[in-house]
Amino acid sequence: MHVYHLREAWRSFRHHQGLAWTMMLSLTATLLLCGVFLLLTHNARTAVRLIGDRREIVVYLRDEVTAEQRDALVAKLGELYGPTEYVSREAAWDEFSQQVGDPQLLQAVDQNPLPASLRVRLRPELLNYPAMEQAAGQIGAFPEVEDVRFGGEWVRRLDQLQAGLLRAALVVGVVVALAVLLILYNLIRLAVATRRREVEIMLRLGASDRFIAAPFVIEAMGETLVSALLALGLLLAIERLFWHQVVNVTFLPATWAAGFLGGAVLLAWAAASLAVARTLRTAGP
Amino acid sequence: MITFEQVTKRYGGRLALDSVSWHMDEGECVVFAGPSGSGKTTVLRLITHEIAPSSGSITVGTIRGAHLSRTRRALLRRTLGTVYEDFRLLNDRTVFENVALAVRIAGRFADTEVLPRTLYALEEVGLQQAQAAYPAELSAGERQRAAIARAIVNRPAVVLADEPTGALEPESAREVVALLRRIHAEGVALLVGTTREEVARAIGGRILRLADGRLVGGPETAPAPAPGGAASGG
Repeated sequence: MHVYHLREAWRSFRHHQGLAWTMMLSLTATLLLCGVFLLLTHNARTAVRLIGDRREIVVYLRDEVTAEQRDALVAKLGELYGPTEYVSREAAWDEFSQQVGDPQLLQAVDQNPLPASLRVRLRPELLNYPAMEQAAGQIGAFPEVEDVRFGGEWVRRLDQLQAGLLRAALVVGVVVALAVLLILYNLIRLAVATRRREVEIMLRLGASDRFIAAPFVIEAMGETLVSALLALGLLLAIERLFWHQVVNVTFLPATWAAGFLGGAVLLAWAAASLAVARTLRTAGP
Repeated sequence: MITFEQVTKRYGGRLALDSVSWHMDEGECVVFAGPSGSGKTTVLRLITHEIAPSSGSITVGTIRGAHLSRTRRALLRRTLGTVYEDFRLLNDRTVFENVALAVRIAGRFADTEVLPRTLYALEEVGLQQAQAAYPAELSAGERQRAAIARAIVNRPAVVLADEPTGALEPESAREVVALLRRIHAEGVALLVGTTREEVARAIGGRILRLADGRLVGGPETAPAPAPGGAASGG
């Protein structure tokens, strides 16, 4: 990039401020919408991940299983599927009692009916329905195991929710990218049209398309970067002033924000290059 | 340097140039003279490939062909210096910036060379004092001199001038003709299109006459004009 082209881009911005601000405001609004969706997606993903991290397989043991057999099974399951915790019949009753809380109701139960169990906190790569189903089947085949539960339907729905979020993020991402491309494309063609005489003179002097296009592309990228920063600033303000007061929303992590800025500038480069190339093909002598 | 072989140009049904052949050598001065609509501007626009011939072949330097790619067309134009009747200066840039733009477009010179080359060209046309002025602040004659500075700043092999005195009053026209003659005397080939007989003669080169898109008569060589020039325009 040549300093001359940077100066030309700045000159163009100063001379066509009305058009430049129109473009920046339109882009800011579009990118803000994109940012809102990114923020929602990020928080939804975080929430789903937190819920998903609690997914575990509960393994009910047969009554006749000895302490040695149980300890061997704990070690085996820990090695194959993830950290495994033994919950005795007494511990299970205590936990149940705390959850129920009503002493009268608990007195109605004659004796502790709860079996001893193992709780397997699965490794991250097993936190999906097919892997959990397979693991449950394998664990159920151990002779010490009476029954295995992992809340299949609930896990399946959680997986569907995650997949849905990803699909929605992709669709919105594509729609916003197209909107940004369209805005940039049309406004840059308008910008070239307003400077048609200048472009024609440069073509007569032998300027290459690249020479003519460079300031337009730099200007578009600069204005898009400003728009993206404005959109991020507005998003942060909205998050701090409103959402943060209502629900515990976390702002986009630095990598997401950097990706947002980089993506917007990349789109600007693509749209501006395309718009100027197409306009120059039909412009001038 | 420039060769037209049986070049014909039609604008729709209208014949602008009818099977014209001519040649111009390096360092030569050629003037196309003729009334409006005779085909002078068409010749110049064909040379710069602003338009393509309907038939025939055009060679400019080492570039030959009727339909050039955008890249080759730009390359060709960078080897030419072109002066227009209406100057075609950028109104939002100073005289210096207008001339320097041509240096940057040429892409052959380092940043450090832009300033001295531009100042030298402005000095040659006598506009070094007006370098910070905008075109609107200059007289028509000064604007044409700025356009000539832009045309010569890259030391082109040939300068094309389409009715260079057309928008000028007589005194400015004389100055511009004298300037073009001086540029030619320094070794630059000069190709001028004009409707004005006195300008054609004052330029002092080989005169080719055009009428209704055809070359008429044989080539003439104008006698060298007396110092001070006899051209008047406007």
